[in-house]
Amino acid sequence: MPEITVERLTKRYGETLAVDDLSFTVEAGHVTGFLGPNGSGKSTTLRALLGLVRPTSGRALVMGKPFHELRNPVRKVGAALDAHDVHPGRSGRSHLRTLAAAAGLPDSRVDEVLEMTELTPARDRRVKGYSMGMRQRLALAAALLGDPKILMLDEPANGLDPQGMRWLRDILVALAAEGRAVLISSHVLSEVEQTVDSVVVIGAGRLVMQGTLAELIKGDRRPALVRSPRAADLRELLEAQGATVTLDGRPDAMLVQHASLEQIGTLAAAHGIPLFELTHEVSTLEDRFLELTGEGGNVR
Amino acid sequence: MNVLRSEWLKVVSVRTTWALLGAMILIEGLAAGLLTGLADVDDLRTRDVASLIIGTKLAIVFMFTLGALLSTNEFRHGTANSTFVVTPRRERVVAAKLAVGLVVGIAGALLYIAVNAGFGLAILSNRGIDVDADRAVDAYVGVGVGLVLGCIFGVALGALLRNQVLTVVTGMVIFLLAGTAALFIGSDVGRWFPGEALLALQGTPGTQDTLLSQTDGGLVLGAYCVVLGIAGMVMTRQREIT
Repeated sequence: MPEITVERLTKRYGETLAVDDLSFTVEAGHVTGFLGPNGSGKSTTLRALLGLVRPTSGRALVMGKPFHELRNPVRKVGAALDAHDVHPGRSGRSHLRTLAAAAGLPDSRVDEVLEMTELTPARDRRVKGYSMGMRQRLALAAALLGDPKILMLDEPANGLDPQGMRWLRDILVALAAEGRAVLISSHVLSEVEQTVDSVVVIGAGRLVMQGTLAELIKGDRRPALVRSPRAADLRELLEAQGATVTLDGRPDAMLVQHASLEQIGTLAAAHGIPLFELTHEVSTLEDRFLELTGEGGNVR
Repeated sequence: MNVLRSEWLKVVSVRTTWALLGAMILIEGLAAGLLTGLADVDDLRTRDVASLIIGTKLAIVFMFTLGALLSTNEFRHGTANSTFVVTPRRERVVAAKLAVGLVVGIAGALLYIAVNAGFGLAILSNRGIDVDADRAVDAYVGVGVGLVLGCIFGVALGALLRNQVLTVVTGMVIFLLAGTAALFIGSDVGRWFPGEALLALQGTPGTQDTLLSQTDGGLVLGAYCVVLGIAGMVMTRQREIT
């Protein structure tokens, strides 16, 4: 049974359709990226899963049940919706103690999660003095309090510096490796592409694709950039194979469509044509994401 | 019990709680001290107990605000998300807040009475003015119960309205303008308003003819707390947290 099941979920706020007939599942042992532009319905879906909003139709289930039917939910699900959701006048430790108390967890667990998120030195400082990165860590610490089987984090990489990103990646991958289901949302694929192994892509509240990160890349139809001192020869060969070639402006470079990188490389090798460069643009995955989700044009 | 402990920790872990309690004690201590110390002795003799509990209107605003913050801070600072994820049975959270409001209200009332009576009675006695003990006890019981109910009223109204500014402003209008409803609308209807019920409960001088009796005032204000508290629980359970 999947840890998270979203089944034909629709959520309407008045005239606004926030989530539209959305279905996907999340399995244990993976970090799943829940991706889509701002306003595409990611947060609403997470809120429906956490029982904070009611679906207009369809179901949002955690461990096969609606959230409110879970017994001792803190031990099953840890969630961080917004790093700003803390009283600024409380210390990080006090904030966690209020949540731990409600869940019947001892203060020693608070100190453990502070240690895990490397916040121990700042634990008695008031949250208003925390950086964005520290707030993100505090939100993750709160989510980890009950040592849950499932983690749902809304934009956890938002506002993190490169070191923070790396730290987050390491801890999330480690948590998934322990057999947890980790679902993290983001509107910037590059923030999470090194962390996630599965993806759920949504746009305008609808599912665009669900699969592995490799499958997301595989669907790429963007041109390949090829540089060769014998570009003209290679162009002839590629066009004979049905590829579309456009010139890049430089004498030795061209953009090739309808041929994979592997096909181009093999063809060049077979004819002894040297290659100086054979690549998709660096941002290809991001472009693929934007291509799928409509470049943010789906914000309603 | 877990939720109750959590709500108690929320109250004691922010400085605002202590600042509001401290400000109330300071202002009320000063008011009692200055009024009993500086007013004309003959005037004080006629006023009797009334001279002690003057300025109670401000104390009720402090206690109401404390209660209101207990509920509305969740929405002002977005902690409602994590609170209701940890405790999905939201009505329990509101019930725990009402209970904590009761405890904070009792603590505030006892502090108020200690400071007010400590300063006021000592100064009056020093100036040779005897205070009717029975009337003083009645007045302090009324004022004390009023402060407790004021705090609970704040929790309940906050749970219902959620918006911090709206809740506090509504409380100010109700309690600071108390007496005007009876004046403008007529005491037949106005005496049932929460602010007017509080004035009656506090045994405010000169209101005996227009407002409810002290006991009825307390019952009416208590009824408001119960109704608003239940409404707050039901609405918090029903409404979406967005």
